[in-house]
Amino acid sequence: MRTRTLRNAIAAGALVLAAGCVRQTTYHWSRYDDSLYRHYKKPQDREAFVEALRTVILEVEQKGLRMPPGLYAEYGYALYEEGRLPEAISYFKLEREQWPESRVLMDKMIRNSELRASKLATPPALAPAAAHGPAGALEKTR
Amino acid sequence: MIRRISTAIALVALASACATVSQKDHSKLHAAQPRSILIVPVVNKSVNVDAPDYFLSTVPIPVAERGYYVFPVNLVKRVLEDDGLADAGLVHDADPTRLAAMFGADSVLYVSIERWEAKYVLVTTSVTVEFSYVLKDGRTGDVLWVDHERFTYSSGDGGGGLLGAMVSAAIEKASPSYMPLARQANARALSYPGPGFPAGPYRPEYRQDWAPPAGR
Repeated sequence: MRTRTLRNAIAAGALVLAAGCVRQTTYHWSRYDDSLYRHYKKPQDREAFVEALRTVILEVEQKGLRMPPGLYAEYGYALYEEGRLPEAISYFKLEREQWPESRVLMDKMIRNSELRASKLATPPALAPAAAHGPAGALEKTR
Repeated sequence: MIRRISTAIALVALASACATVSQKDHSKLHAAQPRSILIVPVVNKSVNVDAPDYFLSTVPIPVAERGYYVFPVNLVKRVLEDDGLADAGLVHDADPTRLAAMFGADSVLYVSIERWEAKYVLVTTSVTVEFSYVLKDGRTGDVLWVDHERFTYSSGDGGGGLLGAMVSAAIEKASPSYMPLARQANARALSYPGPGFPAGPYRPEYRQDWAPPAGR
């Protein structure tokens, strides 16, 4: 009995100590880092990456938690790469609204998305090339 | 008895990990007061080709939790690639003020992998990670903060006897556990008070947690 109490006390102490180091996070990151890791490990599994980012955003919004910086933009870019340009633009705008520090980059990303959307919309002969091109965020040639 | 001693050792290790506070001069960081941090792709000095991308995935969370706006690392990486900067070495050698202007960032964080390796001796696996961190001012290019971390983990000295050790070595040979070590290194590099930097504008203690300059 005594040893058990002692052991419990030690365990409780360890918990307190560990909690002192590993603080609760301010933002709700969920599996953001894990989704990046998996994306770099298996880049061909794009659908899972897009879905993972979407899930984190949904969790934050539905539970009223704090949205991490960069998350709207990261998801917006994943949509951009999928060619889902109007959706991408709406997420770049959300990022810009929430984080004034992102304004320069988000303005750029919105412009690029609009440019790409208009390219896709106009000459049908050129559309396939644009659709299969590289991520082309800044639309520059190497 | 042995278990109790090992618990005690673990407790001491935990306590000391929290308590170590190194003195660092943060005056440049205080003067620059960056609100945002651009984390650029990781330079790799190890032989493990996958390490930089894997490691990159662990960096944004602890940095953002310090209260700074952190640019989306994957978006940044792809934009740089499309701009002809696919090689992280080129990015690290580029003018920091130009990089910062390109993204509208107040500061740029450069992380390099010095070591990312596993060694197998008999039934023991030892994994070592070593990183260097440099934060530069986006307006002047000045170095605002530096840090260096190394963590090692050895298996085989735990429980389970010889057989247990062999099993864990076999498992880890297939996939050594770098990621928890990498996270630990980041957590330590960014801890404050400690080697990390003071709170950014998105933390309540912003501008109130500045340690008095050392030696005064």
